[in-house]
Amino acid sequence: MTPPPKTSNPVILSAQHLSKFFVSPEGKPFTVLEDISLELREGEIVALLGRSGSGKSTLLRTLLGLIPPSRGEVRYRGQPVTGPMPGMALVFQSFALFPWLTVQQNVELGLEAMGIPAAERRRRALDAIRLIGLDGFESAFPKELSGGMRQRVGFARALVTNPDVLFMDEPFSALDVLTSETLRSELLDLWAEQRIPTKSILIVTHNIEEAALMADRILILSANPGRMRSEIQVPHPRLDNRNHPAFKELVEQIYRIMTTPAGGASTPTLPAEPRSLGYRLPAASAEALVALLERVGEEPNYGREDLPRLADEMQLEVDDLFPLADAAALLGLAEVKEGDIQLTPQGRLFVEQDGSARKRVFAARLSEQIPLIAHILRVLEARPGRRAPENRFLQELEDYMSTEDAEAVLATAIDWGRYAELFEYDYNAGVLSMEEPVPIAR
Amino acid sequence: MNRIFPTPEAVRPHRPFSRWDLLVIPGLIALFVLVELGLKGAAAPFGPKTPDLTVSLNPANLPYYGLRTLLRMAVALVFSFGFTLVYATIAARVRGAERVMIPVLDFLQSLPILGFLTATTAMFLGIFRGSLLGLEAAAVFAIFTSQVWNMTFSFYASLTTQPKELQEAALMLRLSPWQRFWKLDVPYAMPGLVWNTMMSVSGGWFFVVASEVISVVGRDHPQFLPGVGSYVALAIQQADVRAMIYAGLTVLVLVLLYDQLFFRPLVAWSEKFKIELSQGQDTPHSWVLTALQRARFAGRIAQLPVPLWEWLWRATALKNRPVRVKEVRSITPQQRLLGWGSTALIAIVALSSLAYLWTFLFGPGWGFAHGRLLQPNPNLNPEFSASMAKRFEDLGVRRSSENAVWLSEVCRISNNGQTISPELAKLLTEYRLEPTGWLERCAKPLAPAGKVSLLEVLHVLKLGLFTALRVTLFVLLAMLFWVPIGVWIGLRPQLAGWVQPLAQFGAAFPANLLFPIFVILIIHFHLNPEFWTAPLMVLGTQWYILFNVVAGATALPSDLKEAAKVTGLKGWSWWRRLALPAIFPAFVTGGITATGGSWNASIVAEVVSWGDVTLTATGLGAYIAHWSTGEFNPHVGLGMVVMGLMVLAYNRLVWRSLYRLAEERYKLA
Repeated sequence: MTPPPKTSNPVILSAQHLSKFFVSPEGKPFTVLEDISLELREGEIVALLGRSGSGKSTLLRTLLGLIPPSRGEVRYRGQPVTGPMPGMALVFQSFALFPWLTVQQNVELGLEAMGIPAAERRRRALDAIRLIGLDGFESAFPKELSGGMRQRVGFARALVTNPDVLFMDEPFSALDVLTSETLRSELLDLWAEQRIPTKSILIVTHNIEEAALMADRILILSANPGRMRSEIQVPHPRLDNRNHPAFKELVEQIYRIMTTPAGGASTPTLPAEPRSLGYRLPAASAEALVALLERVGEEPNYGREDLPRLADEMQLEVDDLFPLADAAALLGLAEVKEGDIQLTPQGRLFVEQDGSARKRVFAARLSEQIPLIAHILRVLEARPGRRAPENRFLQELEDYMSTEDAEAVLATAIDWGRYAELFEYDYNAGVLSMEEPVPIAR
Repeated sequence: MNRIFPTPEAVRPHRPFSRWDLLVIPGLIALFVLVELGLKGAAAPFGPKTPDLTVSLNPANLPYYGLRTLLRMAVALVFSFGFTLVYATIAARVRGAERVMIPVLDFLQSLPILGFLTATTAMFLGIFRGSLLGLEAAAVFAIFTSQVWNMTFSFYASLTTQPKELQEAALMLRLSPWQRFWKLDVPYAMPGLVWNTMMSVSGGWFFVVASEVISVVGRDHPQFLPGVGSYVALAIQQADVRAMIYAGLTVLVLVLLYDQLFFRPLVAWSEKFKIELSQGQDTPHSWVLTALQRARFAGRIAQLPVPLWEWLWRATALKNRPVRVKEVRSITPQQRLLGWGSTALIAIVALSSLAYLWTFLFGPGWGFAHGRLLQPNPNLNPEFSASMAKRFEDLGVRRSSENAVWLSEVCRISNNGQTISPELAKLLTEYRLEPTGWLERCAKPLAPAGKVSLLEVLHVLKLGLFTALRVTLFVLLAMLFWVPIGVWIGLRPQLAGWVQPLAQFGAAFPANLLFPIFVILIIHFHLNPEFWTAPLMVLGTQWYILFNVVAGATALPSDLKEAAKVTGLKGWSWWRRLALPAIFPAFVTGGITATGGSWNASIVAEVVSWGDVTLTATGLGAYIAHWSTGEFNPHVGLGMVVMGLMVLAYNRLVWRSLYRLAEERYKLA
């Protein structure tokens, strides 16, 4: 086991007050990262954890120099980073292998930029291939390999350059559970036995357990905009047993932090600022939301459930679970706090009803709680034909966010509205519409 | 170099030769000899004193003619590749370049190809003075223009749609621009590029027949470059059926050779560049590729340039320098100013080219004189006959270099029609021109000699509408015919495997060889050429519809087919609910290619002849063909610009919306 990294170890990479703005089509800037500072020291594995929308991928690319920051500065070994530096390597979520190159050619590619002679490239590539357990597959093309083997090529390609610092962008999330487990522990062995000269690893993940298993230090980002939320020093020796009480406690702690808003300690997860039209609706389908609420309403706890358990049981990644929990909280159907989700009276009503009664509850919550939906309903009612083009709403949303986000938010609103039978949507025409009201007989 | 690990081949004991070398090495030697033979012929001297070039209808010459034609195709292809790589890379990689380069390409693509032949002959003759290479270059350039735009667009599209992860990987691996070009840009584009090259070369065969006979300024007869195209042209002129059959067979063999020796290996090789999640079931095979890959000695020769390549590779490597990622920061005032500056520059360049074009077409007054609209100034020698022009010249009427006799010239020497000499009057009557009414004709201000009048633009637009009507009607008819057949074939995979190469072959076989059959039929049955020449436009392009539809139907997911069966979908509702929506994207792709090809073919198809008979259909193609006299003139220019704009408009209005619909709604993931 490596000794716990000391805070006195030399700094490899440092970021000072990083901010990143993007400009919306309307020319409005919106913030993705806000004032993020961090340091990466020799001898440590740092996990960057955040839910979707926290800009963790943007942060990683900023640290690598792939995206220039709007404000602040990244330094690698004291030098300002303006692009990928020699000594940095990245393992991609989607492997990013060149399909027309063999395993060996892919691995050699990392050395070609360094101008190394062919014979040495070959030798070093074969060494890396052996190190990562790919012997025998040198002449295979990526398409012939399984996902796990492909990611091994990704690791070999990154490690062949003997990187000083290794970045990993959700490297195991495209793999099945078993494969990712194996690969993770092999990598940790290489690290612990110091068979790779890499001085530090930064791993971006949305998998809480993965962060708890691998990291010496966990940095948690909050979402919209991405800010540094908190930092957890993982106790050593590294906890590699998922059933260890300390490990469970660590996971619980992370859940608690991630479900508690930045401001108070125990208020339910509702946005701090008053909800406006431009509130980013979580990407949660109505169908999955209903499934979640029904599950929470069932035994054993009838209305209250532990989020880590729920994630485990429903086979949900936190990137799927948190948007659902957020949506439930947003609609006032549940409260999320301290890593638990609990149904509100409205939520109980919703779960107990079925058919059209349930949809009526949902519709009422939507028009009450979601300004965007209320706005859509107002507009449709005011229009003579009770129809309105989606572009109109998209443009309004683009005042607050990027085009992509606006489209995602509107898609969510349309999904919810359709489920609640509040309005209809014609995909081909891109038009939202409402049925004419049935005249009430007097 | 000291290898620490021997290569697997080095461990296995073997001789430096393999039996495949017995095939490959003689093949390569034969290739060199043939290329040498062809090049010798192409570089023959050609000057003002050289007698007119002609060909002989003796079939014994056909192998040599075939060689020359094949060589022209190959050279055009090499230049197309080079142009594609350079142009598309600049457009995609230099900031701001695409704003200019892509619209230019779009317009060039829609210009009728044969127009380029007249536009460039003089230029190439000037460059290669005294050598046949000038004419060769003109013919090659015409073929080049029939292929290159498609390929360039394909490469540009690949460059701009590279997966983000691979782009990031290239950055993270710190590949130099040179390394990135060969490891990412070119390989990623390869499958699309090869496919588009195949399509383009199919078009090239069509135009090689039309581009080997070249009119040269200063010579009364067109020049027949040695080649199959010239042979065909002469056979048509002399109405020689037997020669046509020989020519047809030769082209058949040439297309087959090209396919087997060049495209099959290329397609089989480019297969490895496809981004696929899993291994495909049936990958194309090529015996030539197999032979090349297994010929050991030939392989060694091919390895000779490797050290140079390796040196270049290492010399361009970034070594320890970090990559500089282009900053896409918010725009600074200076950049904004620069942006405005470049926009203004583009506007100035565009406006001045427009002004230049306008002057070229309509004369210095831009179609007006003293505020009055200039009237058309017709050519009184519509056949551009040299003898007729000579007779006019003897009476003092100047002829242009292309034997045109302009009305304005008659007006000039006759004091605006007041003093028509008896000889002139006699000559005019002889050529069925009204001897009277010259005062009125000359009274209105005429466009300068050789220039067009703004009034003619309307006429040319009308001609364009006729051609558009023909193209639309016959592409629709071809679709009605081929869609059901294509779907029927596509649902039978074994049959489809047979039909696909045949359809591709049909597209490559130059349809103009079959035109005389139509001429003979039209004359025999006294049909109206205005309508019955139109099928010629789709004769060569209908195959695009067929093989795209077959491909679309083959790709129909079997679960959908089963679902249709289970739900009892039959008859028309089967077509309406399953087949037509599923093949729609393929159908649109085929339609776009077929229409584009048909527009281009109209120049050849609206004027067809056999022996002494020439059938002409009223249309823009016939107009351009008529005015293609060897020199680029305002009439051809007007025809080309109008056709280019009409094709652009046609594609924007009809195909783009259909394409979008296909992309959004009917694409099977």
